[in-house]
Amino acid sequence: MKARRHEFRAALGFLLPNFVGFGVFTAGPVLFSLAISISNWHLHRTIPFRWIALGNFLELFVDKDFWLYSMNTVYLMLGMPVAIAGSLFLAILLSQRLRGIVVYRTLFYLPTFTSGVALMLLWKALYNPEFGALNAAINWCIDTFRVNEVVRALGGAGVSAPTWLLSTKNLVGLEAEEVRSSAAQWGMGARDALIIMGIWIAIGGNNMLLYLAGLSNIPPELTEAAQLDGAGKWAVFRNVTWPQLAPTTFFIVVMSFIGGLQGGFEQARVMTQGGPAGTTTTVAYYIYTKAFEELMVGYAAAISWLLFTAIFVITMVNWRLGSKELNY
Amino acid sequence: MKAFFLITFCVLVLLSVVAWQIQPAPPEGKIPLVWVSDDNPARREQISLFNDLHPNYDLRLDPRANQAGMEKVMLQCLAGVGPDLFDAYSPSELDAFVRSGVAWDVTEELAKRAIDMEKDVWPAILPTGIREGRVYGFPANVAVDAIWVNKDLFDAAGEPYPEGPWTWEEFIEVAQRLTLRDERGRIKQFGFLCDWWQWPQFIMLFGGQLYAENGTRSAVDSPEAIEAIQFMHDLMYVHHVMPTPVDEATMATAGGWGSGTITYFGAGKGAMALGGRWWLCTLRDYEGLNLGVVEIPRMSDTAYRAYGRATVVNRYSPRREQALDFLVYEAGKDYNDLINRQADAVAAVMRYNYTPEFLQNPEHPEEDYNEVWRDVIRYGEADVWSPFVNGQAANRILTKQLDLVKNDQKSAADALRDAAREIHKEMAKTLERDPSLRIKYYRLTGKERPE
Repeated sequence: MKARRHEFRAALGFLLPNFVGFGVFTAGPVLFSLAISISNWHLHRTIPFRWIALGNFLELFVDKDFWLYSMNTVYLMLGMPVAIAGSLFLAILLSQRLRGIVVYRTLFYLPTFTSGVALMLLWKALYNPEFGALNAAINWCIDTFRVNEVVRALGGAGVSAPTWLLSTKNLVGLEAEEVRSSAAQWGMGARDALIIMGIWIAIGGNNMLLYLAGLSNIPPELTEAAQLDGAGKWAVFRNVTWPQLAPTTFFIVVMSFIGGLQGGFEQARVMTQGGPAGTTTTVAYYIYTKAFEELMVGYAAAISWLLFTAIFVITMVNWRLGSKELNY
Repeated sequence: MKAFFLITFCVLVLLSVVAWQIQPAPPEGKIPLVWVSDDNPARREQISLFNDLHPNYDLRLDPRANQAGMEKVMLQCLAGVGPDLFDAYSPSELDAFVRSGVAWDVTEELAKRAIDMEKDVWPAILPTGIREGRVYGFPANVAVDAIWVNKDLFDAAGEPYPEGPWTWEEFIEVAQRLTLRDERGRIKQFGFLCDWWQWPQFIMLFGGQLYAENGTRSAVDSPEAIEAIQFMHDLMYVHHVMPTPVDEATMATAGGWGSGTITYFGAGKGAMALGGRWWLCTLRDYEGLNLGVVEIPRMSDTAYRAYGRATVVNRYSPRREQALDFLVYEAGKDYNDLINRQADAVAAVMRYNYTPEFLQNPEHPEEDYNEVWRDVIRYGEADVWSPFVNGQAANRILTKQLDLVKNDQKSAADALRDAAREIHKEMAKTLERDPSLRIKYYRLTGKERPE
């Protein structure tokens, strides 16, 4: 008994620094932000501090900007399925037994351990409408394949390369000032530019590593049995590999949703400052703007908690739906 | 295992002690002072001169806090770890510092030191240091923009150098003649370079203001403001003499030192450019650049936009008394002469701009246009700001609407009317939150909120 108590104390001693760190730097601030989300705390001292219960949350529901920026956040998540599918495809390629495969894996993982800001500046240069490599390629295609001649012959007005980060246009025609779409806004612009960049970063990132680990955990006898039964590559993938990867996919989907809803801050800060016309401002960037530029700390905390609630609900829904598929 | 953890713990403690011991300390017997301002060679020289003149101080620059914006300074000061001195870059920034309680009211302190700001300093920059009659900061410099002229490009086109006063019609004609295209029809030389963020300058030039009636109402929807923004739009899309957003992206405009527009102008890609005297800090590095300066076309009753920095003392600094010595330094001859020599805009104290050295810097005899800078300051006025709306919130609203004008997606009239409406809504929210402002607003207008 005495020995167990001694052991418990020793364990507690070792765990204490972690507990203290968690309490001071994680649990404490989280609870503090919950408390201030029901206050009108503003860094201007002329505004007296008051507890306002759900006042901030009610104001959020009529805050047009909040809904516009939520729409931007959701739109930027549209690249998620492509990124996940790309990661899987890449992982399958990189799981082949080839000479120098480690080098390939390192190269594809490179964007993940390169500074995010450096990558964004690189992409910003790529998206330059005049001298960017992307538009150089698009313009070359338009000229070489005489696209405009064909379009004009068909009665169209001709096409030109997108202005990317300068344009409010997007693939579903979302407007910049209202939560609705219109034909005038149809095209490719800043939001699509961020999606493409996000896909590029995500394909070779941690998702690919998770899929690689998942692929290496598939018992080879399952694949061999399927092949002996005459299954082709596609049938093996569809009936063996994909179901076996379901837990990994489920984890990646959940994490991508969480990351997507929290995302967009770095891109907005480095590449677009949330523009043009607020079209790349996400909820995370809006929280920053409200707290640290407009100094409305209580309101920003309320947005954070609403975002947390959305993430929590979506994760639970994912969990409920996803876990049904995992019973094999 | 236990021994391993204990040893690791002890090593970490030891390393922490070592780190604590070897952290850079101010030289023995010197009082450390930290100043948050933008980092550039001129600023370093200004600090060096202060340290030379005041051997008992060790003044250092903290540029990182400045890069993160005023909110970082504010939070640091409120948390008790702020700098001793920091710069306010506009009247609305000063207001934010004062309202958050971090700016020290130095009215009496400066009076004790025989510094009379209102008498000594250019009136155009006073609102960046004075709020409601109380002094919170001393202006570090003052700038009013004019039009830079690349004389070589004028010579090449056989065009006489412009001379003020002149009209916008004359300006557009000259700019069009100096806009040159390549064989594919793309502009290779702009007649006029101007950053879009200069739009408040144009509003003032056309006789408008950002706010009216003591800041109780947004005035961006006034006919003058609409005309000004439409004019900027037309310079890009109708007269084709100024870079469009696509051209701007190509120039990678960032503003401030080393800005794309300055380097573009320095490289001879523009015949004229809207900018301040502080551009010389960069342009002096371009050898053989033959420059001139002419005033911006102006209507007789309108003003030029003045801007600059004012240094504020952190109210919570344990060394705030000592920090005052820096403000005294900024009011003195050594500092102001240095500002003029460096061309870090123009000295804020008027009398130091009326010297032969200001008109003809012996190190730069080619700069024979300094009188223009002094002249235009006389017509300078600071931005009118509103205490009834957060400057950053108003800026977010305006930026959004003006982005649409800049991209040719919305007319200036529609955008500015929408912006004014949004700003009034934001004002109403501020008044709802802040009882002291509500009372003030009511006293000024007899109304509860803007309509």
